[in-house]
Amino acid sequence: MKYWLAILIAVVCAGKILAADISADFAAANKLYAEGKFVEASSAYEKILSTGAQSPALLFNAGNAEFKTGHLGKAIAAYRQAELLAPRDAELRANLAFVRNQVQGATLRESSWQKWVSTLTLNEGAILTAAFFWAMLGLFAVRQIKPALAPKLRTATRLAVALTVFSGAILGLQAANHFTASVAIVTVADATARSGPFDDAQSVFSARDGAELKVLDRHDDWVQVANNAGKVGWLSRQQVEVLPGA
Amino acid sequence: MDTEKIMRFTLKIWLRLFATALLPGAALAASFTAALDRDTLTLGENATLSLKFSDGQPQATPTPPAVAGLQFQYVGPSSSFSFINGSTSSSITYNYIIAPQRAGEFTIPAFSVVVGGQPLATAPLKLIVSKAGAPSAAAVNSGSEVAFLKLAFPKPKVFLGESAVGRLELYVRDDVSSLNGFQLTSAPTDGFSAGKTVELPNQRRRVQVGNRVYTVIPLAVPLTTVRTGALALGPFTATVVVVLPSQNQGGDPFFRQFFNQGEQRQVQLATETVGVESLPLPEQNKPANFTGAVGDFTMTATAGPTTVTAGDPVTVRVQISGRGSLDGVTLPAQEAWKNFKAYPPTAKLETADQFGFRGTKTFEQIISPLNNDVREIPPLSFSYFDPNDGQYHVLTQPATPLTVKAAGATPLPQIAATKAEEKPAQDILPIKENLGALMQNKIPLVAQPAFLAAQAMPVLAFLGAFIWRKRADNLANNPRLRRQRAVAALVTAGKSDLKKFAAENKPDEFFATLFRLLQEQLGERLDCPATAITENVVEENSILRGAPENLRKDLREQFQLCNQARYAPVRGTAELNSVAAQFEKLLGELQNLKS
Repeated sequence: MKYWLAILIAVVCAGKILAADISADFAAANKLYAEGKFVEASSAYEKILSTGAQSPALLFNAGNAEFKTGHLGKAIAAYRQAELLAPRDAELRANLAFVRNQVQGATLRESSWQKWVSTLTLNEGAILTAAFFWAMLGLFAVRQIKPALAPKLRTATRLAVALTVFSGAILGLQAANHFTASVAIVTVADATARSGPFDDAQSVFSARDGAELKVLDRHDDWVQVANNAGKVGWLSRQQVEVLPGA
Repeated sequence: MDTEKIMRFTLKIWLRLFATALLPGAALAASFTAALDRDTLTLGENATLSLKFSDGQPQATPTPPAVAGLQFQYVGPSSSFSFINGSTSSSITYNYIIAPQRAGEFTIPAFSVVVGGQPLATAPLKLIVSKAGAPSAAAVNSGSEVAFLKLAFPKPKVFLGESAVGRLELYVRDDVSSLNGFQLTSAPTDGFSAGKTVELPNQRRRVQVGNRVYTVIPLAVPLTTVRTGALALGPFTATVVVVLPSQNQGGDPFFRQFFNQGEQRQVQLATETVGVESLPLPEQNKPANFTGAVGDFTMTATAGPTTVTAGDPVTVRVQISGRGSLDGVTLPAQEAWKNFKAYPPTAKLETADQFGFRGTKTFEQIISPLNNDVREIPPLSFSYFDPNDGQYHVLTQPATPLTVKAAGATPLPQIAATKAEEKPAQDILPIKENLGALMQNKIPLVAQPAFLAAQAMPVLAFLGAFIWRKRADNLANNPRLRRQRAVAALVTAGKSDLKKFAAENKPDEFFATLFRLLQEQLGERLDCPATAITENVVEENSILRGAPENLRKDLREQFQLCNQARYAPVRGTAELNSVAAQFEKLLGELQNLKS
């Protein structure tokens, strides 16, 4: 018992120390940004992200730094990752919209249903659905144990069933979007999509820095993408950042 | 002697032939050859490379060499086995598609492999790839071309950023019975941004070219110039498979019309190069807020709400409609919006044609008045260059009256503090100072086994409640089961009482309890009231009459002991314990008795 307690205390302390370190690094990166040293700030944010830690503010600031260094694609990628964690952040949406407007050429946009379901994060959707599901089955169980309460619980039970079905459907859409509708964001100035996953394959179309493309398939270090004109081609993984759907 | 030598020699020859027939594999050596199905082709066509191994097989599929300008794609193996006149042979062929990326003369180097410890090599192969060229005017007019392509651009001179639809026409000779597999293999549009090539609907026509009639299939290529200077459009190259009437005209004409399926032919097509001059936009009279919109546009703008508190958002909706490259149209920064905090606009494009050159782009920009001195949203302007008249045009929307009420006490100092440095300039919002909650686990909850397993808990709770309810209902609807359980509880309690009375040497209470327990247990087993149970029931009840004799004897003894106790109550603890033990044994037998 003492052994497990010691491990628990060690894990909690290590977590706190790590969080304190990241806070200090984050403040240092912010300082670099405020001084106009955007390249250094971008590297500093990247270093924090490479530890595996994530927060909407960290990704937001990383996106800002990338934008200031002229990397539209990397900025959009950071904002979109932040959007996965904080989809209702107005400042984040404003910056993402602003950077998207700077992108040249055609780019993929989320459909209205994708925008609608992505107002909640996937985890929020999962917790909400689980809460309604637990409430529904809890009410079912109470009605079994105390049948006399069934008439009084009828409205609450129906509401719980309706909310469970509705939130479950939304969660299904969110999960489908997250796991199947991956997006490739071009992170180089000009990426050439090729007809096959080879360097010497014929070029099909080109996409500018920041263009968002639909991911169709992956093969080794190549990603098959489609642009909004319906053209399909292969891009090297070095040219894009692949993100899950919202 | 000579005859004997000849006989021996002949015998040796026969023996060798016999051994060769029996052990063919041992006698044959592996061979390896490389071959192309053709050594000259046109850019856009493919050749097939076959690596054939006879009487042997390599350990792994041979890797094609890296030849600049040639792309190899492995198709798969094919194998064959033959047995001819007692001799067997086998071969395996590895096939590769070669797709040339440019014209030129290529050398595919020799392949070297080891088969069964034996090094084998092929000879190098030559492949000549020529550029597809447009057919000459003489060839077209002679009618010898089954199909050909023509490319046209509507203007010889265009301005930078101007959009136009190039026209690609596929001419197909009238004797072609079927056409399929049309595919553009190359579409060089250097200096242009090209959209998707589509067929123009309902515009096919028939024309006379030379002495033949051709069907013209028009295709549209939407193009927008992205750089200035002399631009070259094309040559576009394509392939198409046509079906021509078969050359075999023999047989009955009646049957020929049903069974003549025609001859398929793949045709390589190419256009001429079309030169286009892209002119820079004039610097003269260029408006200050020109952002590069080229075309012919109109503008409408609305704003609302028009009665707000200082700091509240007002949505300005601007619609730019018309013809041109709407994709690149942006809303210019409005210098007159100094008294507003402007957020980045969002844009939505609705196209009215298939090329995206006509339509409406709607911008929505949120602005908020910084103070209550603001009386109007200043005039909004948008400028564009019209390539038709070569002039810049400025569209202006009049000012929109705005009523701004004073804000509460708190926001005013903030506005005052930021007023000096804030511009309605277009830029991203600043960074966040607070790191917020850190998240380490990037796996969504729905993909975490622990989260999914936890969802089984309410299901199990519900199932538990459901089973409990079913058992309770079952008991309520079964009086015999209810009595059985009540008697079991009574007997359990009674056995404790018996032991207690035995220990305290209280024979009266002991036998009264024993008698009652016998009545209750027998009453439950025989499904009759407990008060109706006496010793006589052992002889009278049909169930007990069919019971084992030992059980009946024990029952009689127990009843008799109870009766005797009323008249001869003196008993010791040891005897009472013995009776209690007998009773427990009897209970076990009674509970096994079928009622």
